[in-house]
Amino acid sequence: MWNNWKPSLLLVCAGALAAQDGRLPQNAWQINLGERSPVLPVSMSQDDSRTSARGAALVLDLHMSMTLRNVSSNRIHGLTLMVVSQEAVKGGKGSVTYPSLNIGPGEVFPVRIDMQLMRPNQVAAGPLVQVRLDGVLYQDLTFFGPDRLHSQRYLTACELEAQRDREYFKKVLAQGGPKGLQQAIFEVHEKLTQANELGVKVTPGGPAVASAAMPDPHPVKFALLQFPDAPVEPLSGMAQVSGNEARTPRVEVLNKSGRNVQYVELGWILTDQSGKQSVAATLPSAEGTMYLPPGKTAFVQQESTLRLYSGARPANVKEMLGFVNQVQFDDGKVWVPGRENLDRPELRKIVPPSAEAQRLSELYFKRGLQALVDELKKF
Amino acid sequence: MRHPSEATLALHAGGDLGWIARWRVERHLTQCDECRQELTAFENVRSIAADLGEIPEVPWNRLAAEMRANIRLGLAAGECVRSAEAPLRETPLFTGARAVVAMASIAALLVTGLVLQGPRPMPTPVAAERTSVQAVDDGIEMGDGSQHAFRLKNASVKPVIVVGAQGSMRARYVDPDSGIVTINRVDVE
Repeated sequence: MWNNWKPSLLLVCAGALAAQDGRLPQNAWQINLGERSPVLPVSMSQDDSRTSARGAALVLDLHMSMTLRNVSSNRIHGLTLMVVSQEAVKGGKGSVTYPSLNIGPGEVFPVRIDMQLMRPNQVAAGPLVQVRLDGVLYQDLTFFGPDRLHSQRYLTACELEAQRDREYFKKVLAQGGPKGLQQAIFEVHEKLTQANELGVKVTPGGPAVASAAMPDPHPVKFALLQFPDAPVEPLSGMAQVSGNEARTPRVEVLNKSGRNVQYVELGWILTDQSGKQSVAATLPSAEGTMYLPPGKTAFVQQESTLRLYSGARPANVKEMLGFVNQVQFDDGKVWVPGRENLDRPELRKIVPPSAEAQRLSELYFKRGLQALVDELKKF
Repeated sequence: MRHPSEATLALHAGGDLGWIARWRVERHLTQCDECRQELTAFENVRSIAADLGEIPEVPWNRLAAEMRANIRLGLAAGECVRSAEAPLRETPLFTGARAVVAMASIAALLVTGLVLQGPRPMPTPVAAERTSVQAVDDGIEMGDGSQHAFRLKNASVKPVIVVGAQGSMRARYVDPDSGIVTINRVDVE
C-alpha cells in the first residue's frame, strides 16, 4: 500500500518545493517605515529577487532598489533600514545603513537592498519581507527612529569620521593644492584596493566542540596603543590563542575623562607568524551593560572566537594589537580617533579608510578632481 | 568507733556474710547499742518479707514452674523445626562453572582497567562549531558557506569588511549607480 503511494507523494512534495522556487512576487514586500517617518518611499523596484527552498527553510535572495523622499525639515546625513523575513530565525534579519548622505528637505535619493535571508518553509499569510526604519541622523546630529540596532551611535560615529576626513581633505587642498588632494585620494584608493592580507571568520560563543587537532590555548597579551586625546585608556588585555584561533578577548580600560562612559569599542589587529596583519575585528563592550564613571576601570570583553586565514589556509596568531576606536558617553555623544592617531605607523596601513573617504575616492575616480573639489565645498 | 554499713548489717541479718565479716560485725555489736537496734530492725523486715511470699493470691512457685516448662517446650520446638529445614547450600561454593565465570569477570575487570589507564585514543579532528560569518570576495557568507548573507551584484566592486567580535559583519561599498555608501550588516545571533 505504502509502496504504491510513495512515488506519488514524492512527486507532490517535489512539486510543492518547485513551486516555491522562483521570482519573488511584488506583494511579498512590505515597506513599513512607521508613522511620522522623515523618509517616505516614492518608488520601488525589486529587480530579480527570488525564493528557493532549502530543506525546511525558504531562502530569499533579495535585490531591491527604492527611491525615498526626505519629508522632514532637516538635512539627512544617515539612514538605517531593517530588513526582516523572520525575527526569531537565525539569518532571518539584516540591516542596511547609508552613511555620508546629504539629503535636503524634499529631496529624493535612491537606496539599494541586496541580501539573503532565511525563513521557515511553512508559508504564512502576509508579506515575506518587511523593510522597517531603524533611524535617521540629521545634519545637527539629532536622531529619529526606534534605534533597535543602535544606529544612532553608529551613524553618529560615521558622521564624525566624515567631518574629520572632509576637514582633512580640505586642509590638504588648501595646503597642497589639487596635486596634494589627488595624492591623498590615491592613498585612500591604495588602502581600498589592497586585499586584506588575512581573512577572518567570527563565531560568537566559541566552538561548540574543541578540535582535537588544535594545540592547547595559551594567553597572549595585547599590545595597546595609547591616544593622548582619547577619553578612555586601555590598560591591559589578553585573549586565549590556539593555532589560528583567538578566543574570549578581554581588555581593561580606564575612563580618564570627566564624563560617564556607556560604550567602548576597541580595534583589534592580529598578526600572523609571517608578519601579515589584519584588522581582525572591532571589540565592543556588551550593549547596555557598561557604566564607567570618571576615574574608574571596566573590562571590554566578548565570548567569541576569531579564526585567521591566509587565503584558504589557517594562519597562526602571533601578536595582537588593540586601540580605542569609539567611545560613547551617557549623554549620547560619541568620540572617534583623530587623523593624527590613525596616521601612527602601527595603524596607518592597516586601518581601512572611513566611509566618507571611500565615497570621495570613488567620486574622484568616476567624475574627476573638479567634482571632488565641488563636493568638498558643499560642506 | 567505726560502725558497719547498712548493707553489711542487712546481709548479717540474712546470714549472708562470710565468717570473717560476720565475726567482725558480731564483735562490734557487743559494744554498740545503736547497731544492734538497726540489726533488729533488719531482722523484723526479713520476717515481714517472708510472710509476703506466703500470700495465697500470688502462687509464685506455680508461676515459676510454668515458666520453666514453657522454656523447655520452646527449646524442644526449635529443635524440631531445625531438623525439618533443608540445608542452605547443598553444593560447594565454587563449582567448576562458577569458578570459570568468576575468573572471567575478574579478567575482564583487569583488562578494562588497563585500557582506561593507557593513553587516550586521539579523536578524529572535528570542526563542529556554532554558526559563524566570514568575508568572501563578493560578500559575506554565513554558516558552512552554503548561504550568502550578502552578495554584491557588481563583481567589480570590492567591499570593505568590518568584523564585530560579538558576531557581526559589515560589508561597506559605494553603490556604482548612485554613489551612495551602502553598509550591509549581518548578525550571527
